[in-house]
Amino acid sequence: MRKVMFVIFAVVVVLMVATPAFAQAGNQSLTTAGGRGWAIPLGAGLGMAIAAGLCGLGQGKATASAVESLARNPGARPGLFIFLILGLALIESLALYALVIAFQVLGLKS
Amino acid sequence: MEQLWFTELLNRAFAKPVNAIMQALPAPLHPAHPEAPITNPVAMQVLVVAFLIVVFLIIRSRLSVDKPGGIQHIAEMLHEMVADQCESIIGHHSTRYIPLLTALFLFILIGNLIGVIPTFESPTVSGAVTLGCAVVSWVYYTSNGIREQGALNYAKHFIGPVWWLFFLMIPIEIVSDLARMMSLSIRLYANIFAGDQVTAVFFSMIPIGVPVIFLLLHVAVAFLQAYIFTLLSTIYISLAVAKEH
Repeated sequence: MRKVMFVIFAVVVVLMVATPAFAQAGNQSLTTAGGRGWAIPLGAGLGMAIAAGLCGLGQGKATASAVESLARNPGARPGLFIFLILGLALIESLALYALVIAFQVLGLKS
Repeated sequence: MEQLWFTELLNRAFAKPVNAIMQALPAPLHPAHPEAPITNPVAMQVLVVAFLIVVFLIIRSRLSVDKPGGIQHIAEMLHEMVADQCESIIGHHSTRYIPLLTALFLFILIGNLIGVIPTFESPTVSGAVTLGCAVVSWVYYTSNGIREQGALNYAKHFIGPVWWLFFLMIPIEIVSDLARMMSLSIRLYANIFAGDQVTAVFFSMIPIGVPVIFLLLHVAVAFLQAYIFTLLSTIYISLAVAKEH
């Protein structure tokens, strides 16, 4: 186990050292490849993936506890429903901000 | 600029007077295409409003206590839904808020759903349209809060619970109040826009069968987002008009 951890940390350290080199290459291709490099779509996709994943985690937690409380007290359905939908909407809007920013970065506009 | 057939129709009929009016406005408001000043979202909004007016004129002319028709049942169901929600969130004296909330709900719902029909486009895929809806909601709840509580009492909301923190709380509260408008508009716009994009992407990958699933999902999202917009507007109204004890 310790050996595995050691290898992982070594790889991380090597990657950290390598980052400036990647950044340089990225910068160059950002300006040269027809005004549009590989880093922009990559960043947009990664950002959207992180946002969607964390949003899914949050929504899953909210739904799980709503269902649990509904199982304990089925009479609370109407009040719960409003708060569940409200909470899901507010959580989801955070992921949607990321989506809008991704679209802006990619230069796609409606 | 791509024009839908309805936009083209409107432009053919009204391009000259609309262009004349827009040229009289300050320079940033001049149309980008003087020969076709009416854009797709505007044309679709006109269509949605015309559709709603026609539907409700028909309902109005057929109202009957003895033999309510199917369309009247639907209208009554809708009114009851919004009224129940108002009653449970705002409490008593909520009947005065029902008309605007129902109108917002129907406008957004029909606006979302019209995009599913081929050769049409949702007006809500444009951020400007959803911002318009959000501004209507903001103006409505602010004006109702001022009317219910008076300007001074309404402004006291912005100070927060502890008065000596006002220098911190006032900017935060003002920003959070204005951010409601932003979040309302971006939520609706991004959902409908993303739904359209997802359907388009799957259509380009597998053109047969599979996009139907996402189209159905899009319809569900259209209902849900219209409902959420109305629900949040109701909650903001209830927060604005609530009397402190």
